[in-house]
This record gives sequence, C-alpha cells and structure tokens, in this order.
Amino acid sequence: MTTLIVGASAGVGRALARALAARSHHLTLVARDRRDLDAEAANLRHSFGATVECIAADAASPESLLQALGARLSDGEPIRNLFLPLGISRTDDDGTLSPAAAVPLLNVNLGSVMAVVDTCLPAMMAAGAGNIVGFGSIAAIRGRRTNIVYSAAKRGLESYFESLRHRTATSGVRTQFYRLGYVATQQSFGKKLLLPMARPEWIAEQVVRHLDQDRGLRHLPAFWGIAGALLPLLPWSIYRRLEF
Amino acid sequence: MTAESARWPAGAISRRHLRSFDGGVGIECEVQCPDRYAFFEPSGTARHAIPRGAGLSYSAASFGADAVSVEIGAFDRILAFEPAVPIVEVEAGITLGALFRFLAAHRLYLPVQPGHGAISIGGCIAADVHGKNQARDGTFINQVEAIRLFHPDHGMVELSRTQNPDVFHATCGGYGLTGVIVVARLRPRPMTGDAVDITTHIVPDALEGARLLRHLARESDFVYSWHDFTRTGRGFGRGYVVAARFVTTDTASRGSSTSMKVPKLSADSPRVPPISALNRWTMPLLNFAYFQAQRRHSSPRRSTLPQSMFPVQGSESYFRLFGPAGFHEYQVILPHDGFAEFLAGVRREIARKGIAVALASAKLFVGAHDLLRFSGEGICFALNIPRNQRSADFLAALDQMTIGLGGRPNIIKDSRLPRSVLEASFPECDRFRGIVQRWDPSRRFRSELSSRLGL
Repeated sequence: MTTLIVGASAGVGRALARALAARSHHLTLVARDRRDLDAEAANLRHSFGATVECIAADAASPESLLQALGARLSDGEPIRNLFLPLGISRTDDDGTLSPAAAVPLLNVNLGSVMAVVDTCLPAMMAAGAGNIVGFGSIAAIRGRRTNIVYSAAKRGLESYFESLRHRTATSGVRTQFYRLGYVATQQSFGKKLLLPMARPEWIAEQVVRHLDQDRGLRHLPAFWGIAGALLPLLPWSIYRRLEF
Repeated sequence: MTAESARWPAGAISRRHLRSFDGGVGIECEVQCPDRYAFFEPSGTARHAIPRGAGLSYSAASFGADAVSVEIGAFDRILAFEPAVPIVEVEAGITLGALFRFLAAHRLYLPVQPGHGAISIGGCIAADVHGKNQARDGTFINQVEAIRLFHPDHGMVELSRTQNPDVFHATCGGYGLTGVIVVARLRPRPMTGDAVDITTHIVPDALEGARLLRHLARESDFVYSWHDFTRTGRGFGRGYVVAARFVTTDTASRGSSTSMKVPKLSADSPRVPPISALNRWTMPLLNFAYFQAQRRHSSPRRSTLPQSMFPVQGSESYFRLFGPAGFHEYQVILPHDGFAEFLAGVRREIARKGIAVALASAKLFVGAHDLLRFSGEGICFALNIPRNQRSADFLAALDQMTIGLGGRPNIIKDSRLPRSVLEASFPECDRFRGIVQRWDPSRRFRSELSSRLGL
C-alpha cells in the first residue's frame, strides 16, 4: 500500500509515518530538509522494516513542490493514501505581514495541499480507491486578531476538503478532514494554552485507526467539537472582547 | 513551524521550573525542544545553552539559571545498523529502553547501562555512566565508537578516539559542556542468553561484601551488593551480593525484551507525599523487610532480561517516598585499602548525626581514572539518605573522609558537591578545563553544575 505524506519530518507527519510504517505501508515522505527525511527514513527502515522513499521539497512554493514530486507521481507505484499534515504559522501574523511573508503561509497551509491533491486525485479516482486526509486547525473556527493569514488559509482548506469530499463521494476515494486542537509540536511549544495539548502520536493513532472510513470534518481531540459548535454562535459584542 | 531568528539556539522557548532528580536544585529555566536538523546550524551569535536528555540527572547538569536547556528528545532515531560488526548509530535522544528493545530483537545489548530505560543515550555519554559490572565492562565510553557533536561555533563535528580525540574524551563524561551530542555510534555486544540467573550471597557486612565482589566480578555479567545500614551492633551493613549470569531459555523470554515497556520516571513527579515516608523509624523496618524478602527468594532464581538490565523500573515510587525535599545520593570510588576505614567513618557519622540510610550499595571498579569521569580502581560505594537539616553536615564529613582516603565522588549523582571537594579529588580537573577552554573559548555551554564546580 503506497502512502504519500507531505510534511513528514516532524510533529503529526512524523508520528503518522511511524504509525503507518508499523502497519506495513510503503511510504513516500516529503519535507523541506533532506537531513530530517533521511534520519526518519533510516529509523523507519531499521525499526519497522519499512520501504521508504524521500523527496526533499519546500511547500512554500506549490510549483517547486510539484516539480520535486513529478517523477515520483508519474513513474512510481500509484499513490493509494495521501496524508497532508503540513502547516506553518508565524508569531507576527497579525495583519501586518508583507505579501512576501504572507504568500508562503498561504501556500504551505493551503496552496500546496490543493496542488498535491489535484495532481494525485485523477489516478486515485480512476483506481476507485484510496484515502485523502487533510489537517486543519481550530484557528479556522472563527477569525481573531492573531494568526490572521494562517486562519484564513486553514478556513479555505476546510472549504476545499468539503468540496473534495463531495467530489469523491461516489468514487471509492475517502476524504477525511481533521480540525486539530492544541498539539504538542514546535508550533505550540512554550505557549500558555487554555486546554491540554494532544501528543502527535495519539493524533496519528486516531487518524490511522479510522482510515478507510467515510468521515467529514472531525475534531481531534473530540472535545474541541464543543468549541467548534459554540464559538461561531457567540455574539459579536462578546467575541470582540475576547483575548485569545 | 515558527518564524526563525538567526541567534542560536533559535526557535520557540518555554519557561519551566526544572529540578535535579535528587530534588536538591530547582531553577526557573528557558527550554527549547528542537525537532529538525535545521536547528543545528552554526551561528556566531549564540546564547549560553546546555543540552538536556531525559532530565534524570541527580545533579543539575542539564539546566542552569542563565542557559537555555536544549532538549534532544525528538532526536530519537536509529540511523544505521550493522549487525555483523556490530555497530548501531543512533540519535542521542533515544532512550536506553527503546534501544534495548531494538537490539534485543537482534540478540544484542549494551553491556554498560544504568538501571532505568527512560534515560537517554546522550545523557549516558555526557555522564559516562557505569552499569552493573564496571570491573568487566568499563564505563559507557567503552562502547562509544564515535560521536557527532554540535557546537554553534564549529557546526557538526565528528569525534572519536582518532578524530578530535581530546574533545571526544572530554565529551564522554563532560556533562554537556562541549556541545550537544546529536548522534552516537555504539558498539553493542551479542547476548549470551535470553534470561538471567541471579544468585544471592548473604554477607554479614559491607567489607565482606566487597571481598565477594572482587571474587565474583570476573565470572558474572552483573554483580553488586546491597547492605542494611540502619542496623546497630553486629548486624550493621549486613546484606547480600547479587551475581547474575545470562542463560539461554526459550523464545518466550526473548519476547519480554523486545516488548519491554518503560515506566515513566521524572524529576518532577506529581504524586509526592507531603513529608518523607523514609525516616529513622520506617527505614529500619523497610530494610529489614527487604533483606528478609531477598533471603526468602530461591537462589539462583531466574529473571527476565528487562528486569535485570533495568532493576529500577517498577520501583519509581521509591524516589517519591523521600517527599518534596528529595534525597541525596552519595557515591564514591574508594581505594581498596581505604574502604574499611571509610565504612567505619560512615558508621560513626550515621550514629553521631542520626542519619537514616535508605540504601547502601557497592560495586567493584577497575581501570585508570581520566578527566572528570567516575572511573578508576576501587570499591564504588553508594548511600541514599533523605535530604534534611542533618544530611548536609553528614555529607560534608563524608567529603572529608573521601578526600583523605584518596577517593573520588560521582559528580553526576550529587547536586550538592562543592567545588573544593571536586578539586581535591579529581587531579585532572584542570586538564578538563583546559580542553574545554581550547575547544570553546567563549564557553557557550554552561549549567548549574558547571557554575557550582567552576568548570
């Protein structure tokens, strides 16, 4: 079973690689830094006997990402499972980012995800089987004064996966989308948060356990579903005063 | 991923209260937890930092008031494995437990490792820890083939006995002061069995225990002694010597190694009783019960490899019983001809200061001493006592006895160890300082331990 993970070198992507290697998936790992990929691939081979291929590419540019993936997607074994746990945020994403800073944010969180899915989708549809798994953020529930571009990209991603699910509904390709709460990664490291963080390994186990199921948007951990339901209902007069 | 800055160590910072495992030192510190190799880029504008493995050092070796603690736990991978040699190359954040599981599947093991699987390989190298038979296996450096060390001024540097040998030797047992150990090439050894037969020899005192250690060390895979120092009169120091050997049994025993689970161990345990449960009244009872329990065991008795390699696993609550103040571990190597005098002195000071000893244990050490490593010839003797008002005076008296007898304390086990004792008992202290100074003139790596000891 051939599985492509874009954003595989750290956090949820790395945990997914381990969980899937333990289940004998043949993996193609994509991340920016060759050193991280090589270390992870070596570990997966030695620890799980996994078949692993690595592609170093920067998701800040969808064009260069697709170029790096090109040979693998056209010549290699067809991709059956596509995991897209990539994301990037900035502490200065407060509405003052220059286009040069905002565009990579939009690309990593949205543009490159769409580019990879669009490239892989025809073959998966033709095969009538496979999984496409996207990862959003609770930041997309309702916009606020921080993570402005990031939240917009993740909201767009939710819409994209909603459409994708509709597009693949009768095809045999399953589309899953997880709105992640706080996860113990570099993105949340050192932040004082209101609720506990989930471990990437736990997230990965939940995702892999429900692979092959037709699932729409789900919250992980599930208790974030309460915030997902209530926060949009909060009157603007109250919401505008919130500091978070 | 977050926005990066050029100053090393760059990335997200967390403020945490870090504590030495013995509870003696607690400091509000800055912590980083990198998970990508991009973190290890040379930088001319570095802050003070100190690497941190599992954070289980008894002394404050992995944190300090003015240093960023760089946690390497995310670097926990097996990078290369050559079973025919055998050599395994790992990232330094991998735990002993994880590596043990991997090696056990290939019928290999590291002969030198401390008693809990949660400890990191990087920590083992930085403290040059010993195992259960130092006399046969040496210390951790003996199984280290090479190290990849990061220093912001030098970048990633290969260290071995032939490449940068001075820095290699100062890094093994260098307490993180030469840089961040990122990768280590280790030499495991073939397992000569898949279970362990443990023989318990009752001894009347610690001196007889030392004599038996000398006799049993050559023919045992593990050997150490335990003694009851809460008894008075002729029973003082009675105990037993444990000698263990690998034996071949069946595949069921093998399975227990490859599936071993490592219990959590932390310097910041959330469930600590408000006062010490180990005191002058409870300790004699507990020691008595422990001695009797060991005596009732059949001998030899069969044990699994995980139980024998990691005897502290499953006994994590022992450390919590000392209460919020924590405990002291006093571990020294004493010349053979001074051991009897040391024991007499310890006994005298216990009686004089009303000290309750929770644990007394000994091992045999052989070989030469070098730099700041806990190594050399003699009897390695360890005491655990509760940290209280009397304990400081007691340990100060033991320090003087150790210096007087030509002994050497274990730097990593004692968060209180004064600089004067270090300098009086480690003749190569200045040579270590010189190597580190030449390697790192701006001294980018520092910790509470290095500040306290003037390293």
